[in-house]
Amino acid sequence: MVCRFNYVAILIFVLFTGQLLFGCISYQMTKRVEGEKFNPPGDALQVGEATLKTALLKLGAPDHLVKLEGKDVLVYQRVVFRQNRLSLSIPALDAWSGNIGLSVFGGLESYDTLALFFTPDRILRQIVVEKSADRPYIKTMLED
Amino acid sequence: MKSTSYLMIFLLFVVGTSGCCVLGKNVDDQKFDASALDRLTANQTPAAEICEIFGAPNQVIEMSNGNAYIYRHSVSKATAVWLILVSMGTYDKQYDQIVFFFDNKDILTHYGASFNAEDASYGLPF
Repeated sequence: MVCRFNYVAILIFVLFTGQLLFGCISYQMTKRVEGEKFNPPGDALQVGEATLKTALLKLGAPDHLVKLEGKDVLVYQRVVFRQNRLSLSIPALDAWSGNIGLSVFGGLESYDTLALFFTPDRILRQIVVEKSADRPYIKTMLED
Repeated sequence: MKSTSYLMIFLLFVVGTSGCCVLGKNVDDQKFDASALDRLTANQTPAAEICEIFGAPNQVIEMSNGNAYIYRHSVSKATAVWLILVSMGTYDKQYDQIVFFFDNKDILTHYGASFNAEDASYGLPF
């Protein structure tokens, strides 16, 4: 009987201590995506030839419209935000208002952007493409 | 001995499943009736008729050679999972959009439509 009590007490102690210590390290992953993937138009849209109608048929509605001096810009965009956070702390110390902890985090917001510049008579004048939404997180964070 | 086993299983279950999951969904503005686009004719349909069909636009933009009306409907889905050591969250936002281009007399010249709102999905960040 005594032996069983000790066994249960030790088990509860181990589990309770473990639960406290589990809070010591925590890892958080966050990802936010806005907008649908799109492919660069390639040869489907030729500067000087393609019209606004062709672009709308090929790519659908743009996410942003901008009027610049002497030209209209259609912007298609996809945004991907990724963040990772590693926290080290001792939650048991909170009871004594202790504040021992270490937290590191890194956020990466990247974009796929396609900007189509049209003349006032709606002929394609320039295409700008940037595909960076799928950049590798770790490599990019360590580069800068 | 049997009660000790039950207690141990219970405690292991409590510790092992210390976590929770949250699913969330946001809808911004109402869906469009895509079939209504078939009723529109370039160089004929006036802006007023488009407003009758689709309601007030979300945004009006002055372009070089007329105006553009933007209609937008979005669906966002969020997933969050908290486990003992690891927590994860994702937020996916997709749009249904229609952009109408008008000439200086407010007659429809072109339109572009994308319907991706239903592609918003729950999931994990990897």
